[in-house]
Amino acid sequence: MKLEHRVTVAAAPDRVWAYLMDLPLAARQIPGIESVELVGTNQYRGRLRVQIGPVRLAFEGDISLEERDDHAKTATLRGEGADRASGGGVRASVRIALDPADGPTAATEIALSTDVQLGGRIAELGQPLIKRKADQVLQAFGENLKRELT
Amino acid sequence: MSYDFHAPTALAEALELAAAYGEDAHFMAGGTSLVLLMGQGLVRPGHVVGLRGLTELRGITKDADGTLRIGALVTHREAERSPEVRAHCTALGDTFGHVATVRIRNQATLGGNLVHADPAQDPPPMLLALDASLSVASRSGERSVALDGFFTDTFATALEPGEIVREIRVPPLATGARACYLKFLPRTADDYATVSVAAVASGGIVRVALGGVGPTPLRARAVERAIASGAAIGDAVAAVVDDIDPLDDGRGSAAYKRTMARVWTARALREVLG
Amino acid sequence: MSVHRIRFTLNGEPREVTASADRLLVDLLRDDLGATGTKKGCAVGVCGSCSVLVNGELVSACLYPVVYVDGAAVTTVEGLASPDGSLAPLQEAFIVHGGFQCGICTPGQLVAATALLAERPRPSERDISRWMMGNICRCTGYAGIRQAIRAAGGDRP
Repeated sequence: MKLEHRVTVAAAPDRVWAYLMDLPLAARQIPGIESVELVGTNQYRGRLRVQIGPVRLAFEGDISLEERDDHAKTATLRGEGADRASGGGVRASVRIALDPADGPTAATEIALSTDVQLGGRIAELGQPLIKRKADQVLQAFGENLKRELT
Repeated sequence: MSYDFHAPTALAEALELAAAYGEDAHFMAGGTSLVLLMGQGLVRPGHVVGLRGLTELRGITKDADGTLRIGALVTHREAERSPEVRAHCTALGDTFGHVATVRIRNQATLGGNLVHADPAQDPPPMLLALDASLSVASRSGERSVALDGFFTDTFATALEPGEIVREIRVPPLATGARACYLKFLPRTADDYATVSVAAVASGGIVRVALGGVGPTPLRARAVERAIASGAAIGDAVAAVVDDIDPLDDGRGSAAYKRTMARVWTARALREVLG
Repeated sequence: MSVHRIRFTLNGEPREVTASADRLLVDLLRDDLGATGTKKGCAVGVCGSCSVLVNGELVSACLYPVVYVDGAAVTTVEGLASPDGSLAPLQEAFIVHGGFQCGICTPGQLVAATALLAERPRPSERDISRWMMGNICRCTGYAGIRQAIRAAGGDRP
């Protein structure tokens, strides 16, 4: 399922780009993130906790940073992880694009285009609920970035 | 599934067990929801604390001030057939009777229903429109929680870890009050609603609540304000779109649910105000 | 996993079993007690083929933990006929009025209808609809089932 998010932060694009490309640092703003570690060139290992009511998921998986264009300030993150307890899995790609935002002070609009699929037992929760949850997580990420990058 | 099952016979004992096992423990009331969640492998507690032995949570009484008190372990079937519930509000008794099938109603409890917090369940909108509250027990005592605000997200409530709902309290209705619960379900009769609307007109106050149109059951406050300010029903229900946030799913598209919310809210209002 | 001693009656016969905490009544009945009349259809409490009575109340055995059966009286389809083998009036009515074809939903239909007639000996059409709507049948189109219940309910045409 596809999700679109935009958030404007009060920082210049260069600074925002450098921050976002430091994945272990930027990932701290994702609610539920437990860790993101560099394991190779543009390769990371991450752990994310998500709770939907009584259902507690703990995803662990690989993330790769691809199609990185430092000049255009665009990149794609691709991740695949599994929740060992339920045997469910998640696959996601996030296209990041930065654009300078209008205004008297330095500002950047961050655009996130996400495609996420959940499979296995977790899918029993229903795609609509999963979509709403993914939306919540990304929304909160955007809000946290806004607070962090001022 | 592999867990230890505990069968406390008193509320205090159940609370102690929950405290002892923390996040690894899950309460089981009737069991209909939890058995399914565990069977799907989505919930994997190490300890299940069965609540059926808590007979103190099974009664239905009426206070001197007219408040209806329903124990959290009362089953939907008991509530559906209860003379006290029906005398308080016939529509409330009917609402409990709308839940699933008689098999589920015999096993599933009202407390379990509320704590499960599926946004399309039947009792919550009716109880919201009746301005119900909950008595919630914990090791530090008891607190009263308005049902309005109790549902925080899909499958999530304002319960703190280790808390148990003791009873549901429904305030008395004014003389001549009218209430209704309308369940729109274009699929099979045992399903959740696509859209459901509960309306109560009591003592000059109108409350409207909807199910199936947002992450939680919700009060339609924009509609209520419109009615309170004298708007005609047809105009007031247009405001329902401000109150709801439905999803596209197997029971209908978001657009369809928005349309149905208007249609059925209008019908509910005509029934209690007409 | 905790293990529990459960004492109950099955169709009037006292039984004692040792069951793990997560055991469900439908599996106990079918796999451990040889009472295979109760069917496991959807296993999520919707189809009604696992309908049984616990203390006279109609429930889905696929959702019923065995630990909740301690001290209870359980009735399955095997318990509807008399000990001498003669069928209950409801069972006779199902035969006479074509209440079954393949038979897979029939135990559930019989148990559910037994509970209905116990609560409401002369059910109206609406009573039958509302009570029996949770027992799904793929074969009959329900007319024969309704007719059988009406007949057994004393509305003899």
